[in-house]
Amino acid sequence: MTLTRAEAQSLIKSALKAATLKDVAVRVRSSSTANLRFANNAPTTSGEVERVDLSVTATRDRSSATVSGTARDPAGVAELVRRAEALAALAPADPEHMPPLGPQTYLRPVAEDPAVIKVGPEARVDAVARVLKVAREGKLEASGMYVHGHQSLALGTSAGLFAYHAETEVTLTATCRTPDGSGSGWGGAMSHRLADIDAVAVARRAADKAEMSRGGGPALEPGAYTVVLEAQAVADLLDFLRGSLGARPADEGRSFFSRAGGNAIGESLFGAQIKLRSDPMDPGNPSTPFADDGLPLQPTVWIDQGKLLTLASSRYWAQRQGRAPVPAARSLFLAGGTASVAELVRGVERGVLVTRLWYNRMLDPRQILATGLTRDGTFKIEGGKLAGPVKNMRYNESPVTLLRQALALGKPERVVNDGAVVVVPPMVVDGFHFASVSDAV
Amino acid sequence: MSSSRRSFLAATGLASAGLLWRPGDAWAGPALARTPAPNSAPASADTGARLLAQSRLLRDEALARAAVDAAQKAGASYADVRLVQWQREQLSVRDDHVSNVGLREEYGLGLRVLADGAWGFAATSRLDVKAVTDAARAAVAMARRSALLMPAPVELAATGVVRGAWVSPIEVDPFLVPIAEKVDLLLAAARGAMAVTGVQHVDASILSVREEKLLITSEGSRVHQIFYRVMPGLTATAIDRRRGRFASRDHEVAPMLAGFEHVRAADLVGQAPQIAEEALRKLHAAPVVPGKRQVILAPSNLWLTIHESIGHSTELDRALGWEANFAGTSFLTPAQRGKLRIGSERVQLVADRTQPGGLASTAWDDEAVPAQRWDLVKDGVFVGWQTTRDLAPKIGEARSRGCSYADSYASVAFPRMPNVSLQPGPENYTTEDLINATEDGILISGRGSWSIDQQRYNFQFGGQFFWEIKKGRLTRPLRDVAYQANTVEFWNSCDMLGGAGSYRLGGSFSDGKGEPSQSNAVSHGCPPARFTVNVLNTGSGA
Repeated sequence: MTLTRAEAQSLIKSALKAATLKDVAVRVRSSSTANLRFANNAPTTSGEVERVDLSVTATRDRSSATVSGTARDPAGVAELVRRAEALAALAPADPEHMPPLGPQTYLRPVAEDPAVIKVGPEARVDAVARVLKVAREGKLEASGMYVHGHQSLALGTSAGLFAYHAETEVTLTATCRTPDGSGSGWGGAMSHRLADIDAVAVARRAADKAEMSRGGGPALEPGAYTVVLEAQAVADLLDFLRGSLGARPADEGRSFFSRAGGNAIGESLFGAQIKLRSDPMDPGNPSTPFADDGLPLQPTVWIDQGKLLTLASSRYWAQRQGRAPVPAARSLFLAGGTASVAELVRGVERGVLVTRLWYNRMLDPRQILATGLTRDGTFKIEGGKLAGPVKNMRYNESPVTLLRQALALGKPERVVNDGAVVVVPPMVVDGFHFASVSDAV
Repeated sequence: MSSSRRSFLAATGLASAGLLWRPGDAWAGPALARTPAPNSAPASADTGARLLAQSRLLRDEALARAAVDAAQKAGASYADVRLVQWQREQLSVRDDHVSNVGLREEYGLGLRVLADGAWGFAATSRLDVKAVTDAARAAVAMARRSALLMPAPVELAATGVVRGAWVSPIEVDPFLVPIAEKVDLLLAAARGAMAVTGVQHVDASILSVREEKLLITSEGSRVHQIFYRVMPGLTATAIDRRRGRFASRDHEVAPMLAGFEHVRAADLVGQAPQIAEEALRKLHAAPVVPGKRQVILAPSNLWLTIHESIGHSTELDRALGWEANFAGTSFLTPAQRGKLRIGSERVQLVADRTQPGGLASTAWDDEAVPAQRWDLVKDGVFVGWQTTRDLAPKIGEARSRGCSYADSYASVAFPRMPNVSLQPGPENYTTEDLINATEDGILISGRGSWSIDQQRYNFQFGGQFFWEIKKGRLTRPLRDVAYQANTVEFWNSCDMLGGAGSYRLGGSFSDGKGEPSQSNAVSHGCPPARFTVNVLNTGSGA
């Protein structure tokens, strides 16, 4: 039940028509998604889900309330509007409320692939069968999920704004484990295009790592190591930086980017090769061209040549600080080079190769210090070669270390990430801290 | 019928509700008078019956039955249909103003089928005959296609046919308390915290949740249930700009399966100045010296450690590899049941879906299996698994433990954690007794950062507040404390437990698992307890 531009616009119009207040914003999200899960080399569950969610924010004298529901007929929509307006009348004023945005001009990324929309149970089972074949041939046990969807998001306000974006998305992730539980490997791919998902390649990546880690390895002493982080591991840690790129926490003294009387914009904080940007129009990896409040998302450079250029700022905070608003990043591109992971490993005399990071949690926002564990393939590097598996380790480390102590950057690739398009390179990082050893495989 | 069940029925007033109580109906409601447990008041005499009778879901019951019929006609050997409605009211204030007044509703139908021995699932929020019969056919079609890759069909443990209804006990319906009253309470609490010099920011919120579901199975079961859950919260943040440091302190109140009476009892307004003072104390606390140390974990901290280290490792689906691609597996295996010591002899951990106030408490699960209470760890030995109908046969058990749950109409039911609680010690120690018996340690309370590996061996947890203990006395607050341990070593190091009087429930609305990811609400009760762990300093130094 993915609403087209016309359907979403008509639903928003009917909501705005039902409104009696002058400041009303409407958001319509709709999706058709389907998945097939598998484990122990067989399907487990599968599902097809149709969703529509209509959300109405009504405001009177800066008193706002938001009501959302699954209604999509005119009577149901009118009821949501009525309830939002009734709640707004009861809500105390929010001095930070901003008047609704009027018409905006948006970029128009092409993010729908008709091939994804046509996928049915047969194609899902075929993709999973290809993964299982690779696992069986390697005497491994595969688990994972194939999931695809078609979704649209539309915004409208009583001031005349209308925004619409539709996209497809397909993700395949697979874990291969040795039957004795001593080895494990992971592979994943995510794209808006069906053709980008190569089930056999994803399965091989997982199977190769599982095979390489079969039998398990010794525990390394906790401490600082030179690490090669695959792109997925870089992205797992970089997520904490994405969440820290806000102006308000910085200006209020609650962030890594806080400075006496202001923030760190303009400071050279990272290595000279670091460039971090967002771009809804990236041809290979398009993303939503507007923020939740309807502000257009433009290509944005956050860090260039290691210098912090900007931080995200809400309309309210920007107005208060006398700056232009900057919507938060919906996509993240970290520039890199051309080297593969294998080539990066060749340049490391002694170190550790990390596939991905797991159960990552913020420890201290002042340092953007996070903790978590390596997972599904951790290997020793000696003399530029992989020298066998080692036990997984807990890290206590900051994405700031990645951007300051990067020795080499590889070829960027799209990683699996909920909520944002993330394209980052694998990296060689000096002085990465492992705090303890885990027996988990 | 046991006396506890009789007293439960009397307490909820549902036993006499002729409307609901038909011959052949079964009740498996939680007993209310078990100790130790927090006091939880029964619903007023007719509230439950009235809410059930007024339900919007009843209007769509015929559609649910039509969906079951359509699935069977299409070839399903088993089908269950859930009509599920969620209401979530979120009220938030920041500093001196309201930052969010939001009401989210969600309603739809989810249908799960077995066909040719494989599962299929389809969900829609469009409730008409065509939409639900299409969903039924789609679910059967995908099950049949999946079956081509199945080496063996799914097998379901038998369960009795039940017809019943249950409403979680509340005194005050949170959705009937005026918004203005709730917001005034939050603004007053925020003012109380902001009045403390040095505190720059306060966030306060109340999340009220109502979950209602009507489950109909092709085996003839019909279960109608309503759950109320509330989560009050208050966080004060103190900032020291000169030294570039800040510290936040959360109120340690737990979310609960309860009505608005629980929010009132949390006394956010009365507690706010103390929370604010403690944020300042954290800011100026001494950095912890790392090393091996005894820690006393207050229930407000220990509940999450129980959840992560025991709650997840005793999920049988994880141990069997069903979650290997995301949440992970378990360090426990079926062969170890009854043999593996994972804690000292004083460690008793009980799974319980009948615990009063427990967020995962219910009368029946999403497969119409009655709620139960059973041992997971007995005298330190691992003895029990969490199961559903398709898991029980995998370990030779005839009946499911009743752990099936879906977080929405649009989600498929799968194994989810019951309330898992550490039982208090027989010595009736108080927290003070534990402190007095500790030479050199740290008292840790509240929830901080937490992280654990995918097999649940190595964990590292923070907390909200840390007191240094020297020679049996609390000496000074500490900061930047985290504790790290291995699950089995941690539980084996447990050498002192508080008594029944010190037992408290903690819990979360967001226990994540599965793909696509689902959220489960779950509680964990425990007394304060003493362990030996590695203490880390997570700060940037002095």
